[in-house]
Amino acid sequence: MILSLLIFLPLLGALVIALLPESQVIQFRWIAFVITLAEVMLSVVAYREFNQAIDDYQLVEQVNWITLPLGNLGIVSIDYLLGVDGISLPLIILSAVVMLIGVVSSWTMTHRLRAYYALYLLLTGTVMGCFAALDFFLFFLFFEFMLLPMYFLIGLWGGPRREYASIKFFLYTLFGSLLILLVMIGLSLSVMDPVSTAITAGFIPDPSAATDELIRNIQSALQSGQLNSAQLVHTFTMRYLADSNNYLPNALLNPASQLMVWGLSARQLAFWALFIGFAIKLPIVPVHTWLPDAHVEAPTPVSVVLAGVLLKIGGYGFLRIVWDFFPDGAAHYAQILAGLGVLSIVYGGLNALAQADLKKMIAYSSVSHMGFVLLGVASLTAEGVNGAIYQMVSHGVLSAMLFLLAGVIYDRTHDRRIDSYRGLMKPMPRYTTLTAIAFFASLGLPGFSGFVGELFTLMGSFQSRWLAGWLTVLATTGILLAAAYFLWTLQRMFFGPYWSRHEATTVLTDLTLREKLLLIPLGGMALVLGLFPNLIFNLTSATVGQWLLKFSVQ
Amino acid sequence: MPVHTPLPVSLLTTLLLSLPFVGFLALAMASRRVSAWLAILTTSFGFVVAFVLALNLPDQPLTIQTAWADLSGTLFSISFRLDSIAALMLILVHFVALLVQIYSVAYLHDEPRLRRYFAYLQLFVGAMLGIVLAGNLLVMYAFWELVGLASYLLIGFYAERPSASKAAKKAFLMNRVGDAGFLIGIFLTYYNFRTLDFSVLDTAVVGGALPTALGLCLFMGCMGKSAQFPLLTWLPDAMEGPTPVSALLHAATMVAAGIFLLARIHPLLSPDALVVIALIGTITTVWGGYSALFQTDIKKVLAFSTVSQLGLMVAAMGTNNVSGAMFHLLTHAFFKAGLFLSAGAVIHAVHTQDMRHMGGLRQTLPITFWGYTFCAAALAGVPFLSGFLSKEAILSGAFDWASHQPGGLASLIPIALLLSSGLTMLYMARQWRLIFFGSYRNKHIPLDQTHEPNWLMRGPVVLLAILSLGFWFSINPFSVHGSWFFRLIPTPAEGHFGWLAPASVALVAVGGWAGFRMNAPRTDTIAVRLSLEYGFLDSLFQYLVINPTQKLANLLSRTDRRLVDGTVNNLGITLVVLAYIARAIDRLVIDGVVNGAAWIASFFGQMTRSVQNGRVQSYIMVTVVGLVLVLWWLLY
Repeated sequence: MILSLLIFLPLLGALVIALLPESQVIQFRWIAFVITLAEVMLSVVAYREFNQAIDDYQLVEQVNWITLPLGNLGIVSIDYLLGVDGISLPLIILSAVVMLIGVVSSWTMTHRLRAYYALYLLLTGTVMGCFAALDFFLFFLFFEFMLLPMYFLIGLWGGPRREYASIKFFLYTLFGSLLILLVMIGLSLSVMDPVSTAITAGFIPDPSAATDELIRNIQSALQSGQLNSAQLVHTFTMRYLADSNNYLPNALLNPASQLMVWGLSARQLAFWALFIGFAIKLPIVPVHTWLPDAHVEAPTPVSVVLAGVLLKIGGYGFLRIVWDFFPDGAAHYAQILAGLGVLSIVYGGLNALAQADLKKMIAYSSVSHMGFVLLGVASLTAEGVNGAIYQMVSHGVLSAMLFLLAGVIYDRTHDRRIDSYRGLMKPMPRYTTLTAIAFFASLGLPGFSGFVGELFTLMGSFQSRWLAGWLTVLATTGILLAAAYFLWTLQRMFFGPYWSRHEATTVLTDLTLREKLLLIPLGGMALVLGLFPNLIFNLTSATVGQWLLKFSVQ
Repeated sequence: MPVHTPLPVSLLTTLLLSLPFVGFLALAMASRRVSAWLAILTTSFGFVVAFVLALNLPDQPLTIQTAWADLSGTLFSISFRLDSIAALMLILVHFVALLVQIYSVAYLHDEPRLRRYFAYLQLFVGAMLGIVLAGNLLVMYAFWELVGLASYLLIGFYAERPSASKAAKKAFLMNRVGDAGFLIGIFLTYYNFRTLDFSVLDTAVVGGALPTALGLCLFMGCMGKSAQFPLLTWLPDAMEGPTPVSALLHAATMVAAGIFLLARIHPLLSPDALVVIALIGTITTVWGGYSALFQTDIKKVLAFSTVSQLGLMVAAMGTNNVSGAMFHLLTHAFFKAGLFLSAGAVIHAVHTQDMRHMGGLRQTLPITFWGYTFCAAALAGVPFLSGFLSKEAILSGAFDWASHQPGGLASLIPIALLLSSGLTMLYMARQWRLIFFGSYRNKHIPLDQTHEPNWLMRGPVVLLAILSLGFWFSINPFSVHGSWFFRLIPTPAEGHFGWLAPASVALVAVGGWAGFRMNAPRTDTIAVRLSLEYGFLDSLFQYLVINPTQKLANLLSRTDRRLVDGTVNNLGITLVVLAYIARAIDRLVIDGVVNGAAWIASFFGQMTRSVQNGRVQSYIMVTVVGLVLVLWWLLY
């Protein structure tokens, strides 16, 4: 029930806001605030209900949603299936927190508030749906629906080139979703739901009678061709898609399938299609160019949400879908995948070094930091995968903080160019302190969360038996580059004698109370997570251990 | 019968480590007036605790361990370890930190951001204690970076000076280069031994080709923090920080962290790695010594002499002489801190760091003069002073090591070390004369207005000068055999070289005579420029590392915009063109029917138009296209 509430409460809120008259400006804010606050509380409840020792889905809600008989082709069944495990729960909590931060930082928004908050809450609900859905179809639905509010939030409230940026974001992601959609349909046609199939085939009366043994029997019956295709129930349930025993013997995506296209098997092609679909979201070089544009044009709260939450869906998709459904491909291509991660780390870092716009610099640093996620996941080690999830949470907190900080200076002068300022520490000492904290935390200073994520993803990739050692060595230059671009920015913008391009027109004021209320908790979270990383690892540990088993037998 | 109550050692150790961090937080809230005394109180308390701990050391190293990260069964813990070498460092760090903070009260009495200054110092002390007490490599690395942060903050303390913030950035980045290697060394250690605990690693078997890389990677950490060749150019720039900071961080303690690291990981260093380490240490010693030779800034001379002495310690580590290196670390900490604090007193009196504007100050600053003289003599290795003893220990160890190496080339290392100690005397005598002898050359402040600082500044100098006497370390002024230090940290049996002491004394005498008579050199000769620009290392870095990196960054940025993003945009434009063609065909063929593809065209063609137009339609359109593709794919 908690998960459904997490999804539908904001959707309901969006509806309420949409129905209220436009004059209720204050109410929109407070409704959004109360609902996102409730989301945080709900996620805490979910955290408390979650048993960390169990490596299986928990808080599961399942309702049969669509059943479509296709005659001889069998039956297609789609479930409303929700649940969490150690991979999704940390991200759900992160999303709830970042969404709340986003609402508070939206307080300065002035125009078209009704639409803004309605879309914002729509986004919140769909994001939660993405992380909670355990049916691929349901996931895809939320995934697609997430695009719509995001598109408008950038396109209507963004900067001067907002329309270009929003369309670019939209088409990029849509291209990715098309690839995902293709594979999703292919998978569903290739896989049966053993429990429902057992029911339609008359082995058991209802799902509660399904035992592990029965499922094994059904699976072996399927493999030996004893089930006729009309009895088969095709499914989108992720658990079944991830189990190779559920694949129809002659199916396109069966591991034994001999079909080759361009020298790749159908499974390998499907793997790459899915990978690209989610790599766009993360983003991974070279499909990252929507990100700098989207970030630069998006208003501050939207940037916060984009970096803090939406990017994580890419990494989540890797773990939940791409790697889990295609462990063969992930293991086979581990080296190339990790190489792409390293490419993102180094390429993103070097690009960040060359940026003149503060927000763009932070955007490229995101590309670099997300590279660590791919590197960790591709390592297929306990350190790497746990570290990758941790890195996502850590980056969620830190990038939210960084984009808020960029927003602070933009709010005052509408100018984010690094070379428009010098010696900001004089008029804005507190802003300088918090920026320095965020920068050092992001460049991996021990004690803050950035360090833990980078440490363990790198350590995992170095220990990995799938990867060459030099990949890690190359990736380590990423932490050097991070130090370079952050400290260089700090030196140029904040230290030295004070000067500003807008000295004549704008008096720079230090942080307001609201800004402090946003930034200090984020900094505190980065510190607490960095000192006590087990807060995250206790959640992920068991699930990741189970998740990795698949690769130990490869 | 007296009841024997064992001290709660682990509790005290925890307390000791947390004290500076508590001090740091307290200072963040304290008022400016009490800040100095709050800091001094904290460190004094820590000093007492450290002493008590050192006197009550358990026989076995004490370990405190707590779980930190559990990654699906792979465990990483935070662990601390207290043994004799750590106890020694604890006392040293607290003692120098205490003196420096007392000194700072007077030296920085006009500084408005005093609270911040003392808070940073506490942060440094805490981080340094963490390094000293670290029980595994991960904890070591974490505090290692934290020390880097403290150093960054303190070097850049005068942040409104562009040169200061630049120097701070340079120090942090150069250290990070070393730390990246350190991190890989940690990964290699974990890969080979599945543990990072010093207590386990001490007994781990080493051999084969890989551990050489392991040792050298770990050594890279030392290269950064202890300013070894070629990562040494940040240290002279670090002199931008307040002078007491230079004394504490960039002379006595922080830069010694690399030496301490080598002592901790010594069992992991393969013979090949040791040779490389000895070589780098030797190069650094000579490089630093030569660079100090012609500097005109009083602090820069001392900075390069620090580089040189650190090289000596590293070379000692490379020649398997852990106790000798640690001994020199200890003696060096006292006399080098003394030198920096004396230099501070001089700067305080004449308001310049340029030695060309000093001279004859021995009359007006007699106490500083004598303090400086003792410390400088100790640094140069004059007999009866501590530096003589510790250099002796290092040199005899090095000659002994060389005699066991195959081939005669190895003896070049101890010979270079011996000669470089003559070099030390040379530049110190030159500096001594430039500051305290000859005529007074400062036009801004008349000589009779230069005066000794108050006792808060004089006291630490005097104390450190007294501690530079050899007597404290060994009864026999010419030999370290039987010194208490080597009972604390045992030394492997080493050969005795009877000719070594006379030889060094002779070298010191020659160096001193030459240095004192050294004339102001012409600055345009290549030999002098080589010294002043420390072997052009900074220019080399600029041309070989920084410029190419920036060029690459700019190139990639352009590539990203034009090539990567350009491809995407061109794809979009192609689609638009196709859409227009489709629309044209559509209009010609099926009159009046609007093709949805045109909506894509409207997206790309008229981006300035409001988003309100065409959004839903295009969404539907693209979805339809998608479905068509799906159908095509399903049906081939």
